[in-house]
Order: sequence, then C-alpha cells, then structure tokens
Amino acid sequence: MSGWRLTLRQAPALRVDMRGVLPAAVVGLSSAQIEQVRVGHGNALVPLGEFFTVKADDNDDALVFEGDLSRFDRVGWQMTGGRITVNGPAGHYAGGCMGGGELQVKGHAGLLAACEMAGGQLTVEGDAGDFAASTLPGSVDGMRGGTLIVKGNAGARFGDRMRRGTALVFGNVGDFVASRMVAGTIGIGGQAGAHVGYGMRRGSVVFTGATPDIAMTFVPALVEARVFWQLLARDLARHGGPFAQLPARAVERHLGDLASDGRGELIVAR
Amino acid sequence: MIENGVAIDDSFAEAFPMKATRLIITAHNLTWALNAAVSATGFATSVIACGCEAGIERELSADETPDGRPGVSVLIFSMSGKELAKQVERRVGQCVLTCPTTAAFAGIAEGEAIALGKNLRFFGDGWQISKVINGVRYWRIPVMDGEFVAQETTAVVKCVGGGNLLLLCRDTDTALAVSEAAVAAMKALPNVIMPFPGGVVRSGSKVGSKYATLSASTNDAFCPSLYGLAAKSEITPETRCVMEIVIDGLTEADVGAAMLAGMRAGIALGSAGGLLRISAGNYGGKLGPFHFHLRKLLAAGAST
Repeated sequence: MSGWRLTLRQAPALRVDMRGVLPAAVVGLSSAQIEQVRVGHGNALVPLGEFFTVKADDNDDALVFEGDLSRFDRVGWQMTGGRITVNGPAGHYAGGCMGGGELQVKGHAGLLAACEMAGGQLTVEGDAGDFAASTLPGSVDGMRGGTLIVKGNAGARFGDRMRRGTALVFGNVGDFVASRMVAGTIGIGGQAGAHVGYGMRRGSVVFTGATPDIAMTFVPALVEARVFWQLLARDLARHGGPFAQLPARAVERHLGDLASDGRGELIVAR
Repeated sequence: MIENGVAIDDSFAEAFPMKATRLIITAHNLTWALNAAVSATGFATSVIACGCEAGIERELSADETPDGRPGVSVLIFSMSGKELAKQVERRVGQCVLTCPTTAAFAGIAEGEAIALGKNLRFFGDGWQISKVINGVRYWRIPVMDGEFVAQETTAVVKCVGGGNLLLLCRDTDTALAVSEAAVAAMKALPNVIMPFPGGVVRSGSKVGSKYATLSASTNDAFCPSLYGLAAKSEITPETRCVMEIVIDGLTEADVGAAMLAGMRAGIALGSAGGLLRISAGNYGGKLGPFHFHLRKLLAAGAST
C-alpha cells in the first residue's frame, strides 16, 4: 500500500485545525479526494488542498507532512493507528488524545503535545511547549498511556495530572514538572525547573542529569527499591540518550508529595 | 528388547492433561531464591492431596532474569486452572512474599492470566503501588526488608502430567543409584519437573483398592515384600527393589524427551549397575490421552 506526502504550499493566514486528517481516514481515497478533506481555518472549513499538495508516496500508509506546520494544530489528534511524520515543526495539541500509532515531529511541537494521550508513541525531535503530556484545560486526567519522547527541551507543567504511560525529555524541563501527577513514569535527561512533583500523588519521576530542588514535602527514602528500579531502568534504557546507562546507575529516592497522597517518588540517578 | 542387559517392557506410560504455569523467583542471591523456591514447591508431590505438583525447573543466572538478580524458575502443575490459581496465590503468598529479598515474575507470557501479585497486593494495606512498565503491571508491596515486587498475573498453559518410568533393580543401593542418575539426566532438560522427593517415588500405586473409599492403593505387583504372596507379581528373586519417576512437562514432547533421557541414563548403568528392567505405569490406555511407549521413545531417540 502506498502512503501520502503532503507538502505545504505556503503558511496559512490563520491557525488550522488538523483533526480528522489521519492515516485511517484517507485509506482508499485518491489524492484529489484527500485534497477535498475539510479542515478548520479560522471559522471556516477549507479543503486540505488549499494548504498542501498531495502526492502518493511509497511509505506504507503513512502520512508525511513537509514544511513548517507550526500553525497547524491537532496533528494526529485522536489517532488510533498508522504513522504520521511531520518533517518540520508542528502546532499545538500534536498527538493529543492519541490512542495508538506513531507520530513523529522532526521539529518543535507547540503547547499541549500528547495531552491526554492514551496509547501509541509521539516523538518530538525538537522542543515541546508547555503542558506536554498533560491534561486538556478543565479535564481531570492527563496522559493515560503510550509514550511521549521529547528529544529537546520541554516547557512548564510537563506531565500535569498524568496517570499512566511514559513521558521522557532528553533535555531540560520547565517549572512544575509532574504537577498533580497521579501515576505513570516521567524521565528527565537535563535540568528541571522549580517545584518538581508539586502535588504529585503517585508515579515516578526519574532525573538522570542534575539533581532538582526538592520540596520539604518529600521525604528521602531509606531503601533503594532495587528490583523495581531495575525493571524501570531497563525499560527506559531502550530509549537511549541520557537514559541508556540507567540500569548501571544507583539511585536515591524522595517520596511524596506529602501534601497529597504521598506515594509518588522522585528518583535521582547518581 | 534388551539394552545393555536391561529389559525394556513393551509398555507405555499413560499421562493426563493438566494446567501449568512457570514462575521466576529472584532474590538478592541464589541462596535466598532457592530458599523461596524450595519452600514454594514443598508439599507438592501429587495432586491427590497437595492440590498441585511443583518443582524447581532450573536455576537462573543474573542475566536471565527480569531484574538482573539470580533466580530460580519453578513449574507448578494442577488439574484445573482454578485450582492452579489457588495454589499459586497461597504458595507465593506464604513462601515467596515471606522470603527475604525475593521478587516474583511470570515465566510464561502466552496463555490465560491468573493472579500472581494481583491479590497479594492487599497485604500492602493501602501502601502498595501499581506500576505498569512496558505494558506489564507490577505490584510493589512494602515489607520489612524493602519492598516485594510481583508481576500482577502469570499465564496458564495446557500441559502433560503423569509421565513415568518404573525402574526394577537388583537391590536398594542400585535402585537409588539408577534413579538418581535418571533424575539427574531429566533435570538437565527444560520444561519438566519430577515432583516427588528427590524426583523419585517408592510408593507407586495401582487404581482401586479393597477399601471402597480409596481410589488408589499400593502397587502390590511391584512390592518385593509381597513376592509369593500377591496373586500377580512383577518381582523376581533378581529384582528386589523398584523405584518410579513421575514427570510433568509443559508439552508431550518435553515429557517424552525426559523419559528418554531417564531411560538412557539407566541403560548406561545397565544390568552391571543393577538396573534389570524398565517398565511404565498405565491404566490400560483408557484414562489418559497421552501414551509414551518405552520402545518407541528409544527407537525415535536412536534415530536422532
């Protein structure tokens, strides 16, 4: 089966809502039909062909976008399978509410990347904005499954209200990483901003680089939890980068946030 | 059929379908993994009264286990998935959870899931934490030496129980030597356990009894003390001690391979070593669907 390569004609005047443009939705369509798929542009619905040229490609049912998509929001929104590659930056909500499949953003991603993600994998080769792997405004549960990998840096509130899945940042993260976290795993390769794990109930936040400032509402753990650590570290090591050597490193843990449930842990690799 | 002076009966072992699971028990060092495994597989010789048949399959080095510590793989067999689930929960709860530094993992991935740490987690009294790592859920239960980590479930597979060999020997010394050699050869194989003490059972049974309440009783035809007394005896003045080895395996091929390895070990010792005859226990072939013909096993083994 062939896939499709969509090349940006020029940057749109307004932000474009890309929900509905998914590999599964264009199966069996011709390039002319794909160009007729409507996407939101401001308050109007506009054919996709206004923004992209669509060409068949031999990349196995994948959608490949070429160009600067930083004004294109909700790329891969509610995607359940297949593969989307953005050869450039993507806008806000990239991979939001994803349930499966693979989304790769070769550039930066905007705000709320992988928010409320439930499955699949989103890889951002560049930086991710604030609220990545977090929750939609007003919603109770954040990321609840799948894998988010940010090869660059991430903004504030990374993993807010996260409850399952794995979210890794190879670089630095902003303030309030893992705020209100319910469960799941967050890994940080670089430095973290202020207030790590603010109000976290459960879950694991792994710091492989600099030791963050840890609030008084966390208590140092007396035991290493080696079995658990080996299980987790071996899994994270698959993703390489700053996580590759984790199984060989000892850790110290800080348990909290005691202002909440207090069963979360900040794991600092030594 | 005579091999190295050993008569091979034209008979077969009759085996039954069972349900099994494999557990990986790891610990700070092999000693404590073995302590847990020995305890968890204790009192598990026969499903008749133990609820399951269990044994240590083999020891695992640190690079073979999920958590990078030394471990032991254990096989547990039962007559039904429900009974197996009950036995796994009791045995892991009482013998592995309690044993210093241990952790418990599923050793089989494919099959119907039964609880491993799923119910044991309540021992944590609310302090237990679930962790999903690469799609697998584990439970972390705080205990006095740190935490007990157990995978949530383990998988149940269909398997074969009740493969057996009867080793008719000259006397007690040679019978022990022959059966020890046979068990050692079988233990080198994967996917099988010999659930009786040291792998050997001396109280082989026949179906039925003169007592209405008993479904099985001593195999009088093979009892040397009943030579000349029992109406029908397999004992001769030369064969005065008989040992049986019972084998449970994950597949029919595994049980067959273990029986072949056991026979070959016995035949290697030969009549000079005191082994005079090899037979097998069956019920006429009507009860169990798996038949292991001794001569066919040896013939097939010779061609490979």
